[in-house]
Amino acid sequence: MDLTRRTLLKTQAAAAAATAANVALPASAQNILTGEDLHLQWSKAPCRFCGTGCGVMVGVKDGRVVATHGDMQAEVNRGLNCVKGYFLSKIMYGSDRLTQPLMRMKNGQFAKDGEFQPVSWDQAFDEMARQFKRVLKEKGPEAVGMFGSGQWTIWEGYAASKLMRAGFRTNNLDPNARHCMASAAVTFIRTFGMDEPMGCYDDFENADAFVLWGSNMAEMHPILWTRITDRRLSHPHVRIATLSTYEHRTTDLSDMALIFKPNSDLAIMNYIANYIIQTGAVNRDFVEKHCNFRMANTDIGYGLRPDHVLEQQAQHANDAQVSSASSFEDYAKLMSQYTVEKASELSGIPKERLEALAKLYADPKVKVMSLWTMGFNQHVRGVWANHMVYNLHLLTGKIAEPGNSPFSLTGQPSACGTAREVGTFSHRLPADMQVNNPEHRKHAEEIWKLPHGLLPEKVGYHAVQQDRMLKDGKLNAYWIMCNNNLQTAPNTNNETYPGYRNPENFVVVSDAYPTVTAMAADVILPAAMWVEKEGAYGNAERRTHFWHQLVNAPGDARSDLWQLVEFSKRFTTDEVWPAQILDANPDYKGKSLYDVLFANGEVNKFPVNELDPAYENREAKAFGFYVQKGLFEEYASFGRGHGHDLAPFDTYHQVRGLRWPVVNGQETRWRYREGLDPYVEKGSGLQFYGNPDKKANIMGAPYEPPAESPDVEYDLWLVTGRVLEHWHSGSMTLRVPELYKAFPGAVVFMHPDDAAKRHLRRGQEVRVVSRRGEIRSRVETRGRNRVPQGLIFVPFFDASQLINKVTLDATDPISKQTDFKKCAVKVVSAATADAGDQQ
Amino acid sequence: MRRGVFAILIGIGPCLAAGAIFAQDAPRLRGPTPFTEEIPAPPMQRQVTDDVRVRRNYPDQPPVIPHSIEGYAMDLNANKCMSCHARKFTEQSQAPMISVTHYQDRAGNTLGGLAPRRYVCVSCHVPQTTAKPLVDNVFTDMDALTETERQPERGRN
Amino acid sequence: MTGECHISSLVVHTRPDKVPAIIERVREIEGAEIHGGAEAGKLIVTLETETEHQVVERINAIQLLDGVLAATLVFHHFEPVQDQE
Repeated sequence: MDLTRRTLLKTQAAAAAATAANVALPASAQNILTGEDLHLQWSKAPCRFCGTGCGVMVGVKDGRVVATHGDMQAEVNRGLNCVKGYFLSKIMYGSDRLTQPLMRMKNGQFAKDGEFQPVSWDQAFDEMARQFKRVLKEKGPEAVGMFGSGQWTIWEGYAASKLMRAGFRTNNLDPNARHCMASAAVTFIRTFGMDEPMGCYDDFENADAFVLWGSNMAEMHPILWTRITDRRLSHPHVRIATLSTYEHRTTDLSDMALIFKPNSDLAIMNYIANYIIQTGAVNRDFVEKHCNFRMANTDIGYGLRPDHVLEQQAQHANDAQVSSASSFEDYAKLMSQYTVEKASELSGIPKERLEALAKLYADPKVKVMSLWTMGFNQHVRGVWANHMVYNLHLLTGKIAEPGNSPFSLTGQPSACGTAREVGTFSHRLPADMQVNNPEHRKHAEEIWKLPHGLLPEKVGYHAVQQDRMLKDGKLNAYWIMCNNNLQTAPNTNNETYPGYRNPENFVVVSDAYPTVTAMAADVILPAAMWVEKEGAYGNAERRTHFWHQLVNAPGDARSDLWQLVEFSKRFTTDEVWPAQILDANPDYKGKSLYDVLFANGEVNKFPVNELDPAYENREAKAFGFYVQKGLFEEYASFGRGHGHDLAPFDTYHQVRGLRWPVVNGQETRWRYREGLDPYVEKGSGLQFYGNPDKKANIMGAPYEPPAESPDVEYDLWLVTGRVLEHWHSGSMTLRVPELYKAFPGAVVFMHPDDAAKRHLRRGQEVRVVSRRGEIRSRVETRGRNRVPQGLIFVPFFDASQLINKVTLDATDPISKQTDFKKCAVKVVSAATADAGDQQ
Repeated sequence: MRRGVFAILIGIGPCLAAGAIFAQDAPRLRGPTPFTEEIPAPPMQRQVTDDVRVRRNYPDQPPVIPHSIEGYAMDLNANKCMSCHARKFTEQSQAPMISVTHYQDRAGNTLGGLAPRRYVCVSCHVPQTTAKPLVDNVFTDMDALTETERQPERGRN
Repeated sequence: MTGECHISSLVVHTRPDKVPAIIERVREIEGAEIHGGAEAGKLIVTLETETEHQVVERINAIQLLDGVLAATLVFHHFEPVQDQE
């Protein structure tokens, strides 16, 4: 009998005796709580997990989070959460939370081959500053870099961008959103001149048909899936079509489940465009008024290392992003190659079903919402795939109005709000500006009050390239914040791990828990999580939402924001800026980076008495000003008046988020449409004002094969991804007992016939082997994912089964985003000594 | 004084022995050492199917599923869960009725049956396996905070 | 290994001037806990013991305390327990 039950019985016993004796007992003797004991402090916050951006209410008692529930007032989810969201109150309480900085030491000194010892923040920063200064001096700004996160708060990403670009003068800042949304972000710019969807979640309640392209929303965007199922089950005319390379919980609830061969999504979309053209379903008026036609360069390679044979053979590997002006006729001619026969042959989907799908797009009366995430983005032709779905909506004019919506779903909670909008990519500045545009750099220098010519123009290393440069010894001082890249990058044994342990390199990792990546670092800095700091995220529908600090981080853990700003105090402009800039601007001499980046009159503009007295704010107290507000308002000045308008800082603490552009206090639900978007000129009806000619680009591109397909030896497709219960690399969710117990380990989802052919039984230990590496896992022939023959699915949350040792570091050559969904493997019993075929 | 006869739930807890910075040996969390090594795959875990209700960590938590759901239909034609948990079947099945919160639509109106937005039960309710948690979780049940002298400091495993 | 857990409660009638002293003595008894009733001279006491014999034994001990007028058993519950959970 546990303590709880004993206490209950004692209380009952005492109550019985008291009644018999007619004695009143104090309230604490009762077995139900009353009065003060029942009160919890409830505050709003966005969920820590996916790009859906549900609102939650967080219950705090005695300095601890004790409960959460879905926020009824949040429009996104109206009180619902998914199972991960319902366990938010446990994610901060894994008992192995990092609470102190750790550094590899030998004999009291830093040593890359030493063991981790606890050190003070000062010691850690001292060594970090020493190393970064050394590298900057010896090799220059191109040898330092940072790998940040779409799970950073908005001001953390902004502070990092300032520190790296304006402080250390390098553009080697890239976020883990490169692995997640780069293809989508790049295509938005190429098509519309501006990033992020033109629709919003209200499209769910207005669409007649939902087409999901390689997106398993039931597990990956569960609350948005509830809005789809609600719409579908309440309105019988609504149809859900899901295209996927295997059956899963989403296809189970779809009217049309179309299982296609990997990569053939390109051909299917071109077929649908062809169908639209051939059946006269093109909205001529719309196309003429609002669209240009362009042709993409083809044969663009796979983003592999330049000496790879596939790169050598590719005609346009070096100018993959280039496209040329074209015409409707030329576009139609290219599309005419994609007959239903060809699409059916390439995809394996029967012709009638392809045609039924095409009809959804072609029928002008059907409002179509297309949805996609990693199936399209993590694709060697991810940019083309994004283009192709926009083509379908542009040809038919089904765009920028309720229910007609090509909707790029976001993976991470702030890939939009932080990585894309703030611009923490190696080629970006805030508000969609680019580092290699002199006008944009000048504008940033003005807002940042920095000398003209300071900001570096060379595009920095992107994610996969950072790993390669670390390995090659060209990138030598590296800071990883809020991600687990050693687990989640592709081809990790060969291209990621060597760089981290390269003796020439100094690697710092900031995280809340000891992850795989932290274990490979030289310095580990303990990070504050979620509601342990005041924060802001931006979700997939352009909704920026804020939260207050609700509890304190344990031990000496500090937020990424504090770490970045505090670190900047260790550097002076004399040490890291070029002499000619300082000579031309002597006022900047002898200042610390902290002075010029953060105590610059803008970021430190708001005093601490503007803090909400009901909430703690450790960073503001540490620096003596409302640093989050200062950073936010400075950042917002980039976008206000330019279509990226954010509301005033204080407003966001009051409301459940607002969708930008927020003009005169009004959020914008549909962009580019007159009457709904204040930036559209009166009388024009629709304007894609991100482009100079206010038109969108229809981009023609062909089908091209993937980098690596199954062959005689490696005879299976490997698809990687997530499961509902675990977030990404599992560093948070695996520490929640209920989530861990629900799905304790990765498995190889395999077709029962494929298993039988290889003499494998369910539960048997196997080796999953590619040309690059292997892992050991267990066969699963049942369960939520039913893969076709010739394909396996392995989730990547399990650090004991690092499936990314097996994957290939091929990327979309334009977006540089890795294709995690297609490479070739074989699966053999772990007991076999040699890796022979088992047919 | 009380003796330790009765079972007391003691969490394993992070005991920092001299030189041991990281408490648990957990390749599933921290990866193999060294990174490049291949390690055996842990065995697949058994499902918990004993029908025993598990205490919730706080009132709003969706209860975990204590029975097998293998092969349960969850599609446009059928929702197997409702064949026991719908109000009209509960007397027969003795299964808990779906929460009253499940009758509300997006606008907060109470409907006559399961609201369509709640159709996919498994988005929130998950079964469990017998897997032993990799690390202790020191989440504190709110009851423990109000009865500190009678309750253990730590929450459940 | 299994044992038992006995939970019982009693009302202890006391002489008003002896209450503090009795409270102190009762607290020394193993497994005893006082929940209230001091002002009324009727102490509400629970006992946790491993056997029924110990319940009887301890009630006797309380009855013998100087100033105790009566000790009446009101509630008694027991169940088997495992040593380790």
